[in-house]
Amino acid sequence: MPEIRLDRVSKLYAGDVPAVSEVSLTIREGEFFVLLGPSGCGKSTTLRMIAGLESISSGDLYIGERRVNHVDPKDRDLAFVFQNYALFPHLTVLGNLEFGMRLRRVGRAERTARVGEVARMLGLSQLLDRKPSQLSGGQRQRVALGRALLREPVAFLLDEPLSNLDAKLRASMRTELVRLHRRVGRTVVHVTHDQVEAMTMAERICIMNDGRVIQVGTPMEVYRNPANTFVAGFLASPPMNLVTTRMRGDGMGGLVAEAPGLVIPWPEPERSAYAPYRDREVVVGIRAEDLRVEAHASTAAPVDVEVVAVEALGPEVILVGALPDMHGPELSARLPPEYTVPVGTMQRLWVDPARVRLFDADTGTAVPPPTPYSG
Amino acid sequence: MSPAARDRVFGYAMATPGLAAMLAVILFPVLFTIVTSTFAFTLLNPRHDQFVGLANYAAALASAEFRHALLVTLGFVVAVVLLEFLIGFAVALALNAVERGKSAYYAILLFPLMMNPVVVGLIWRMFLHPSLGIVNYVLSSAGVGAVDWLGDPRHAFWTVVGVDIWQQVSFMVVLLLAGLSALPREPYEAARMEGAGAVRAFLHVTLPLMRPVITVTLLIRLIFAVRTYDLVYIMTRGGPGQATDLVSYFIYRQAFVSLDIGRACAMAVILLLIVLPLTAWLHRYMRSLSAA
Repeated sequence: MPEIRLDRVSKLYAGDVPAVSEVSLTIREGEFFVLLGPSGCGKSTTLRMIAGLESISSGDLYIGERRVNHVDPKDRDLAFVFQNYALFPHLTVLGNLEFGMRLRRVGRAERTARVGEVARMLGLSQLLDRKPSQLSGGQRQRVALGRALLREPVAFLLDEPLSNLDAKLRASMRTELVRLHRRVGRTVVHVTHDQVEAMTMAERICIMNDGRVIQVGTPMEVYRNPANTFVAGFLASPPMNLVTTRMRGDGMGGLVAEAPGLVIPWPEPERSAYAPYRDREVVVGIRAEDLRVEAHASTAAPVDVEVVAVEALGPEVILVGALPDMHGPELSARLPPEYTVPVGTMQRLWVDPARVRLFDADTGTAVPPPTPYSG
Repeated sequence: MSPAARDRVFGYAMATPGLAAMLAVILFPVLFTIVTSTFAFTLLNPRHDQFVGLANYAAALASAEFRHALLVTLGFVVAVVLLEFLIGFAVALALNAVERGKSAYYAILLFPLMMNPVVVGLIWRMFLHPSLGIVNYVLSSAGVGAVDWLGDPRHAFWTVVGVDIWQQVSFMVVLLLAGLSALPREPYEAARMEGAGAVRAFLHVTLPLMRPVITVTLLIRLIFAVRTYDLVYIMTRGGPGQATDLVSYFIYRQAFVSLDIGRACAMAVILLLIVLPLTAWLHRYMRSLSAA
């Protein structure tokens, strides 16, 4: 099973608007790869170019050693699952599953055997003579997946396959898709705008914005070390807290980032990398779960906020607080469920400076910059 | 009076004028026709004083000319609906692939449809005139001898069919094109991923998905084609002989040339009995579509 490699692939639509610019990616064989980004970021176009449903304006696409830019979709050995399933409404579930095999003139005995196997795997055996209009969303989704499985492709391309399902079904389909991937063992390229989907399902995530690849990495890598403020603000809910601060010396050879209500003394290892930012504006990024109510480490730095809201979610409480600077952003802190405090009171939170990330205020990129991904 | 009852009264009051007009111009003529069809009602003796039961129906069905008119109409309807559908679908498929200037094509196509059939008949009668018409002039310059398009029994029927196609084919094009452009894109892409080429995509995706639109278009055109009248009235008056004697024109002659209103009414009721089930079925089918 070969890898899928994109080498500076671009898509220009009429009017020279780039939908995808110079995307270079290597999707390893057998991995669950998620393309994540807001709508219009080019992730679906990228997937459709891999499938051959969209032409490639420039750059090269390889499946294994073979350059497939001009290979017909059916000869790329890929299966595509559409957002709205794209079942043939006039055919039964059986007809939909068999469609491709009939076109390829697969014999009846083999067809029946393979459809039977896939139908059992997906729990469709009882539904084979139903029409798509008689199925629920989740069942249609399964039929679409079954149709893809029956192709026995090199890779599965999934275009937001869960976005038309309700929240509960979506959660169970997530688990099911991951289990299916483990069982079938083939490459999956999954496009989604849902960061929870990406975090829970992916072996590696590629985050796209404005037609470009922003960051590629395992879920924990992109979560812990976002490449820029876009990724920091896009992943997780609540997203990473971003505060504009000023970097200055502390008069004792140390370096601190300072804003009203917050002073973060940088630990020794970071100082040299951060030194060029002395006396400049920088953005600090703090994950909501890194803000605590008690000083949990000797190096913990205080963050003073006025409580704006306390949202009890059950297993945890989200505290929304405002820094004393009236124009400053609101911060979210993920606190234990017992926590309670009246709105309007001042609360001192603590953060371990080693967990705080730094971003260039002008470019938004992380400091030190993460090693750029080059496909 | 309760508010609900007041609402109801107000509703009836608002609907009454329209309802009265409908009854006067639609229901009354229909009932009058049905009643008259059972009387010996002629324009020489326009009175309902001689009840004849179903004698008018028996006479109508016994009339070889009436049966011939029914046959001509059947042939005409099948020919125009089938040919218009085939041409219309081909044009609609071609236009659906057009990216630019679609509205210009649309406007051009709609011209014949917006013309009054009487005008269409007159124009084509001039075009097709055996010695003065432009059609024969063009043919003669290509070395083909003059054809008597409307006067020759061998050609007249197909000439009328051709003119009807010229005028009505855009109806098919417009409806089928609307259907085609509303088709979802994904089933085509799914078929393409599975390896279906243009022909198979047409057979396995376009045709099945278009079935409701095709059915409705065919039925509507069929119902309208059965009552074609003006074209024949202007171009051939049913002739030569009875070659283009469509049933609606035959009924007109029965009533206003032979002056036998009673028998004409019986024939009209027979025609109604043919068209009514078609219309009812169409109505049902369209409701089932909107319910699905």
